Amino acid sequence: MLNRKLAEYELVVGRPVLDQLHQLASSLTGMRVVHVNSTRVGGGVAEILTWMVPFMQELGIDASWQTIEGNAGFFRTTKMFHNGFQGNPVNLTSSDIKAYEQTNEANAERLRPILETADAVFIHDPQPAALLDSCPNREGKWIWRCHIDASHPDRQVWKYLRRFLADYDASIFSLYSFSRYLDHPQFIIAPSIDPLSDKNCELEQGEMDKAYSRFGLDRNRPLLVQISRFDSFKDPVGVIKAFRIVQDFAPAQLVLAGGGATDDPEGDMVLNEVREEAGDDEDIHILLLPGDAHRTINALQRISDIIIQKSTREGFGLTVTEGLWKSKPVIGGNTGGIVLQLMNHHTGFLVNTPEGTAHRIRYLLQHRGRMRIMGEKGKEFVRENFLLTRHLREYLTLLLGLKKGFTNRLIAA
Amino acid sequence: MSMGPFQIKDCALVVRMADVPPAYNLRELYDRVRSCLPDSIYHHFCETPLRATFDDPAFRNDFAVWSHRALNDDILAERLGILDPYDFGDIEELRQIVLDIIDDRLSEITHVPWAKSGQELHFLQALTVIFDTGRRIEDPVELPQAISQMTTSSLYYHFLEARRRVEGRLDDFTAWLQDWNDRGKPLIESFSVVDFYFLSLRELQTELSHATDQVLKGILMC
Repeated sequence: MLNRKLAEYELVVGRPVLDQLHQLASSLTGMRVVHVNSTRVGGGVAEILTWMVPFMQELGIDASWQTIEGNAGFFRTTKMFHNGFQGNPVNLTSSDIKAYEQTNEANAERLRPILETADAVFIHDPQPAALLDSCPNREGKWIWRCHIDASHPDRQVWKYLRRFLADYDASIFSLYSFSRYLDHPQFIIAPSIDPLSDKNCELEQGEMDKAYSRFGLDRNRPLLVQISRFDSFKDPVGVIKAFRIVQDFAPAQLVLAGGGATDDPEGDMVLNEVREEAGDDEDIHILLLPGDAHRTINALQRISDIIIQKSTREGFGLTVTEGLWKSKPVIGGNTGGIVLQLMNHHTGFLVNTPEGTAHRIRYLLQHRGRMRIMGEKGKEFVRENFLLTRHLREYLTLLLGLKKGFTNRLIAA
Repeated sequence: MSMGPFQIKDCALVVRMADVPPAYNLRELYDRVRSCLPDSIYHHFCETPLRATFDDPAFRNDFAVWSHRALNDDILAERLGILDPYDFGDIEELRQIVLDIIDDRLSEITHVPWAKSGQELHFLQALTVIFDTGRRIEDPVELPQAISQMTTSSLYYHFLEARRRVEGRLDDFTAWLQDWNDRGKPLIESFSVVDFYFLSLRELQTELSHATDQVLKGILMC
């Protein structure tokens, strides 16, 4: 759990924003709220709950976080759900379904007392979605929180899960374009970043300087950085192709940095392709970083001139948000949530090809003043709308709606 | 005449999908605007500054932005974009004007423009919670500082949303200042010249804070 207090965010967001959270929460004191997901460590959902649950507690809400336990068969099935939500065809067998339902039933046995007496239960993603079926005496409202793109799911997966989801009182999606029709209110709550986390906090100049020396980077030449897993959808090979075009015009350097791929055969394959494409070019730095190298990533983003996220397929794209928070223009693939974050000539550029990427890099390198303005604008957009304080405020607003009924206009007592 | 304190309120919203399918072309836009709830029209015209977004579009309502970006119909975008939702008595009046504009446009063009896949218009509405901040403004002289310390959503509630609630489509500050007679007049005048519809809430905050500050400094110097 996060060992930080809301007051520490005052320097970033200002006192009125924190006061607003306390004022909203004053009508929610003592409300029993339970979040359920499938893991406490790793992944975006666990990252969110790590701060959200203690902050709700700090605001006087009786919030708790429960996780479900499952065996390999269960997680194999839920991985199939995940792939199916992304539109990949899957073949669910009766044993897959049995593993899913039995695991949910077993977890319901353990969690039933807390779930059935809660005022609000947030079920995160498909893994624990069937818990609702095993809690027939539930007293509060149940909300299904979908963190993945559900707009074009595999039909078999959606038809199967829909029978559980239909009984929820509401659902939440990250973007309206990620939503899928369900016969209950569907809310839109975008993700956010934590400005005080290691990945996003301000760094001392010395720490940034170390990144130059540690990775053999030249501080006198433009630095382009893409932070991503070595995954074909992040198109690292396309980024190198774009860099080759740029090299003919500007003496730049490229960093492609991402997490280890040792347990992912496809990741190894992509990493090999990337290394092959880079060849012996000393200006292309391929960095395989450990999963907890948040401050290193932060430093690389902060010393960069331009941040690239040339995905061909993407969820919300929080790496773009993180890049904007570092006051950098971002060049991103024209896909997923990146489309909503990058406004051409305002916060960065949307691109479709290596050629388009190279074109925008060259433009920016010739317009340093423009880069600075775009960077400042991007940071302010993030400050206003995509920090965890906004995320928390929307959950509090939704909880008030749950408490008082989903009319469109409520007066809090 | 009561000169009670000004109660600073605030609001927070969370967006939800409206109960109409997305629009993929101009004819569907017409149908959806005709059948959606008034709250959805209100959201797409008035609540856009409160929504979490990276966007800073040329037009302030979603229908104009969509016409420009997805339908590539700038004539329609311009006609919709200039509509000031606070000029209308109620949302039904605004809805009818929007329908008339779309209908006129449909009669002018030879083919119905379509959005590309992924650029369809999703109809939204919001759950809005209004709450008391507990803070009060006792005297007009406190206004500049109070405005500069408000959240942008509080400013939205008192300066924009108020025009739906307050008789004469006034903002809450103006309504309150009317009770202060001559002391309120110069401040009311300074508010009346702010073209708020084209400012972001942060810009509006700066503008109002500056305007009230200038007026009060002028009064003190006289």
